[in-house]
Amino acid sequence: MSGWSLAALAAVALATAALLFAFTSGFGRDPHEVPFILKGKPAPDFTLARLDTGEEVTLSSLRGRPVVLNFWASWCGPCQAEHPTLARAAQRYQQDARFFGVVFEDTPENARAFARPLDPSFPQLVDPKSRMAVDYGVSGVPETYFIDAQGIIRDKYVGPLLDAQELAGRLALLREAGGPGARR
Amino acid sequence: MRGTLGYAFVLGGLLCAVFGAVVGIVGGLRRRPGTRAWVERATLGFFVCMLGANLTMVWALIAHDFSVHYVSQVGSRTTPLVYTVVSLWSALEGSILFWGAILGTYLVAFLRAQRSSRERTVELGLGAMLGVATFFAFLIAGPANPFGPVFPVPPDGPGPNALLQNDILMVIHPPMLYCGYVGMTVPFGIAVAALLDGRLGEAWLNALRRWTLVAWTFLTVGLILGSWWAYRVLGWGGYWAWDPVENAAFLPWLTATAFLHSTMLQERRRVLKLWTLSLALASFSLTVLGTFMTRSGIFNSVHSFTQSDIGPTFLVFLALVVAVSIGLLAVRGPQLAPEDTLPGVASRETAILINNLLFSALTFTILLGTVFPLVREAFSGVRVSVGAPYFNRMAVPLGIAILFLMGVGPSLPWGNASRDVWRRQFLVPGMAGLAVLGACLVAGLRGWAPLTTFGLAAFVATVTLRQLFLPALVRMKEKGEKPWTSFARSAARSRRRTGGYLVHLAVVVVFVAIAASSAYVQHTTGTLAPGQTLSLSGYTVRFVGLEQGEEPHRHWVAARLDVTEVGGAHGSLAPRMNFYERSTDPVGSPAVSSGAFGDLYLTLLAFGPDATGSPTASFNMWTLPLVGWIWWSIPLFVIGALVAAWPRRRALPVVDTEPAPARRSAARGTA
Repeated sequence: MSGWSLAALAAVALATAALLFAFTSGFGRDPHEVPFILKGKPAPDFTLARLDTGEEVTLSSLRGRPVVLNFWASWCGPCQAEHPTLARAAQRYQQDARFFGVVFEDTPENARAFARPLDPSFPQLVDPKSRMAVDYGVSGVPETYFIDAQGIIRDKYVGPLLDAQELAGRLALLREAGGPGARR
Repeated sequence: MRGTLGYAFVLGGLLCAVFGAVVGIVGGLRRRPGTRAWVERATLGFFVCMLGANLTMVWALIAHDFSVHYVSQVGSRTTPLVYTVVSLWSALEGSILFWGAILGTYLVAFLRAQRSSRERTVELGLGAMLGVATFFAFLIAGPANPFGPVFPVPPDGPGPNALLQNDILMVIHPPMLYCGYVGMTVPFGIAVAALLDGRLGEAWLNALRRWTLVAWTFLTVGLILGSWWAYRVLGWGGYWAWDPVENAAFLPWLTATAFLHSTMLQERRRVLKLWTLSLALASFSLTVLGTFMTRSGIFNSVHSFTQSDIGPTFLVFLALVVAVSIGLLAVRGPQLAPEDTLPGVASRETAILINNLLFSALTFTILLGTVFPLVREAFSGVRVSVGAPYFNRMAVPLGIAILFLMGVGPSLPWGNASRDVWRRQFLVPGMAGLAVLGACLVAGLRGWAPLTTFGLAAFVATVTLRQLFLPALVRMKEKGEKPWTSFARSAARSRRRTGGYLVHLAVVVVFVAIAASSAYVQHTTGTLAPGQTLSLSGYTVRFVGLEQGEEPHRHWVAARLDVTEVGGAHGSLAPRMNFYERSTDPVGSPAVSSGAFGDLYLTLLAFGPDATGSPTASFNMWTLPLVGWIWWSIPLFVIGALVAAWPRRRALPVVDTEPAPARRSAARGTA
């Protein structure tokens, strides 16, 4: 066999080895997961009006306490399902974090009708034209963002947060501000 | 009970496979007499056990025996019977079980075909194939056991994936593809046997080529049916998305196609032996890779089964297959040196060589694009995605170059061509190509890729038809036969050639259909109230109203539309949305009106009452010229492959060229 053939076989062997190595690193990872590039980055600042009073809320003025942002819409069934869990947590952990809901792609009337029977839980904010949702890279509702006391996004949860323990765990991580926000 | 029975069959199959693999390879290498009979028994045992296990599973599915793990996952009392049976291959564990049955069938078929051959390569080959069988039996017995018990036994199950019970093509597309995938095991076994045996004459080449052709045919049909299924079910107005799993099935098809061409060089010139064997081994390795991609859960694809634990096991197997292949090639390489040189550039040999290079380049390009996101993430942690634009940009020029060669190669003679040949062979086809190109331009068609494809298609079709009919014409003149008789006789005299050119014609049809449907597709969307219309390239649809209905396993909403074509023809279409009890998202059923010149393709996007309470519906509407020709080419592919591969009457396998000795009694005992 010529040297060329041997070299080609060796190259194929090497490439295959590299490929197999790459595959091994894929195990235990969910290929459907959407990458979350804002993790560990400063949360984009916003000033939004409250749904009920119209009073303006600015994120940067809330420094010093963790913030939980929950994106929801009245047309979203799972949002309805998770709302009681969030409302209870907002009251129970009010010393630890401030909770805000952000209305996503919805009319104020529908949103108010949705929020009224569930309040008084936590303030809801109106995000006209979804500018702020775009800044945060919301891919759908419900989605919940966890921002630490320094204004760094530590984590986000995609889908309805139905498990109070899960939420408590994430809040505990948030309290250890500066610690990496672990996923699950 | 059924679970225990099925698992007993699986263990029996595993035992047979391990035993046969060890005896076959060790016995074959040591040239022990008498071991062949045991390998044959093990092969039959494996087949019987796998068949038994599959029938047990089908029985459990039909009987709704939810104490069997797999049935509790995919079974449901409301699923129609045909989809209940089909759910054998609708999820991970069942599909691997089914795989085992196909593998068993192939092994028995190989055994029968080679029954009269006393070559020890048969024993070695069966040993290698049973080695592959061992792996799959191990998977079924261990990491992907479908027969595990369930306690407490649930009263009902979720039913198969909603997407998979939506179209009858689901009944035949996966078995075809599996037959293609699994079929590559046989050429792999033959190649390994030839390399292990060390006698690398031409004896094994015929069997290798024929079995590759069998697998290739199934793979071709499976691929086309898969694209048809995607077109009819997924509702995005296309049929090929360069999805990782589509690519995974396409890769072995490419190497197998290259192999079928390079064998001609090996036969004629005794060159490219190492290369030809590498292609056979690569085709099998790529089917294993493809199976891994579908079942490991590390690729994001419409095809991927749920996350599973079999990935690492599969990876070890893949590594083993590649290591064995490369090791054998490296050890036997010196015996695979070319015995001849290639003639000059203007020869069919060179055309085939370039064809092989192009196919390899295409394989590499697609493999790279498919695995690049994973490799990139593994080495740099950054997730990227490689989309259709990359694949189209790379594959279109390579595909066009291959089409060009399909015309040039058959026109050139074996050996060096004279100048005269060039003029004689290329004048008429070249004119045909230019004429079609001119006609397309006059008709107002634009775009370099489709126009080049159409021109080349005419060129290749002319060359191919001439190659097909020229021998018949000569016979007609010389012997005064009737046209059909002379064609049948000339075809029968050179069946591989005839079959090959029929397949070439089918490929030309597919090329034209792909070029036309992807370059001249039209799309529009609209929300209509009853009576309102939507128009696109000659078609007008008028929304009539919404309909709904109940079936045992789902309910559906359909939007009835009246269709008027430009010629005045009338019809009615009703794209639907299906709601399955246990599926959160509705599954759409597009409505397609197929014609010889193109399809009208409608999907229902959304429906509901508007502010005044009257129904409205939103539609996606596409027109795709010539798209149907992609799937209508299947018969031509199959006929061509059958003509080329059908065993000749009276003919014995080439491995049997030695003087026929008396049969051994042991071999007769199992036959």
